[in-house]
Amino acid sequence: MYNSLPIEKYMFIHNFLPHPYHRSRARLLSHKALLVYNVFLILFFAFTHYVPKIYPGILGYASDIKISELLNLTNKKRAASGLSELNINNELSKAAYKKAQDMFAKDYWAHVSPDGKEPWDFILAEKYDYSYAGENLAKNFNTSKEVVEAWFSSPSHKDNLLSKNYDEIGFAVVNGTLDGYKTTLVVQMFGRPRTPSYLAKVNEESINEKILESVKEESVVENSAELPKSLETETNGNLFTLSYISLPSVIDVSTAQKVVGLTFGGFITGLFALDVWYSKRKAIPKFTGHTLAHLSILAITVIGIWLALSPGKIL
Amino acid sequence: MLREENHLRHYLILILGILTFVFLIYYFKYYNNVQIILAGGLSAFYCLWGIIHHAVEGRLSRLVFLEYILVGLLVFLLLFTALSI
Repeated sequence: MYNSLPIEKYMFIHNFLPHPYHRSRARLLSHKALLVYNVFLILFFAFTHYVPKIYPGILGYASDIKISELLNLTNKKRAASGLSELNINNELSKAAYKKAQDMFAKDYWAHVSPDGKEPWDFILAEKYDYSYAGENLAKNFNTSKEVVEAWFSSPSHKDNLLSKNYDEIGFAVVNGTLDGYKTTLVVQMFGRPRTPSYLAKVNEESINEKILESVKEESVVENSAELPKSLETETNGNLFTLSYISLPSVIDVSTAQKVVGLTFGGFITGLFALDVWYSKRKAIPKFTGHTLAHLSILAITVIGIWLALSPGKIL
Repeated sequence: MLREENHLRHYLILILGILTFVFLIYYFKYYNNVQIILAGGLSAFYCLWGIIHHAVEGRLSRLVFLEYILVGLLVFLLLFTALSI
C-alpha cells in the first residue's frame, strides 16, 4: 500500500516555498500566478470603476466633516501666520451650498460648471457684492483636519486660506452621489464685501430663517433622490451655515482601496520574502530574476500605498 | 570582484530610483493624475532596470524578461488601483 500523504504535504508547501529540486520559486510566485494577480487587479479596478455607474451609491466615502471645525482650523492657520480671523457669512455659505448642489445635479467636479457658470456667479446670485472673492473645493475626505491640511499643502489653495484680501468666509458640506460614488463635497468661499456696511447684522434672525427655508425647499425639489436625513445648523455668534448629515454607503471605497492594496501587495511581498529566506537557508540556486529586487520594489510599493494614498481630492 | 562591484552599483541605482519615485509620489500627494503618471514611471523604470541589469550580466532570457514585465505591471496596478478611485 502506497501512502501519498507526505508527498501531497510536501507538494502543498511548495505553493509558498521554493522547490529545491526544480530550482524554481514557489508556485504562487510563478509567471502564471503573477499573471493571475495582474488580472485580479484589473478586474478589481473594473469593478470599482464601473459598478458605481451601473448601481450608483453602492460605493462611497465615509466622512465626518464639521463646518465649525473647518472654520476653526482655517482661522488657526491664519492666526499662526499673523492674519486676522475670517467671519462666517450667510450669503457666502449659501453660495457655497448652491455650488455643491450644482455639482451633484450636473455631475461635475470643477470650479466652472459644464454650462460655464463660475464661482462668482453663485456669489453674486446671493447678492454678495464683493471686491475680492475666492473658492476652494474638496471631496472624498474623512475628516475636517484632512481637508484643511490638504488645502494648506497646495500653494494655490494656501494662497486663498492666507490671503489678506478676505474678511469673510462661507462653507458648505454636502453629501450626494458624484460620478456614481456617494461622497461629501466641501465648498469654501472667501470674500471681501465691496461696502463695509454690508457686514451690518440687520434683521439677522429673519434672514437666517429665510435661508434655511429656501434651502430646505430646494433640497426637496432638486435632490429628491438623495434626500438628507436632516439639516444641521451650526451657530457662530448669530450666523449659521448648513450641512447635511452623512448617509452611509454600502462599501467605503477608501477602506476597499487600503484593504486590497495592503493585504494583496503584502501577501505577494511576504511570498518573495519567504523565497529569499528559504532559498538562502537551503542554498537553492534559481535561474530567475532577482528576488531581492522584486521584494524591494513591492515592499516600497506597499509602504507607498499607505503613505501616498491621498485621503481625498482638492480643486 | 568587478562583477560584485557592478552588482552593487546596479542595486544602488535601483534603490535611488525607487526612492526618488516614492518621494515624488508622496510629494504630489494631492495631485492624483501626476501620481498615476509617476506610478507608470516607477513601473517602467523597474522593468528597464531588470532587463538592462540581466543583459549586462549576460543572463537575460525570455522568462526573465517576462518576469520583470509582470512584476513591473503588478507594481503599477497596485499603485493605480489605490490612486485611481
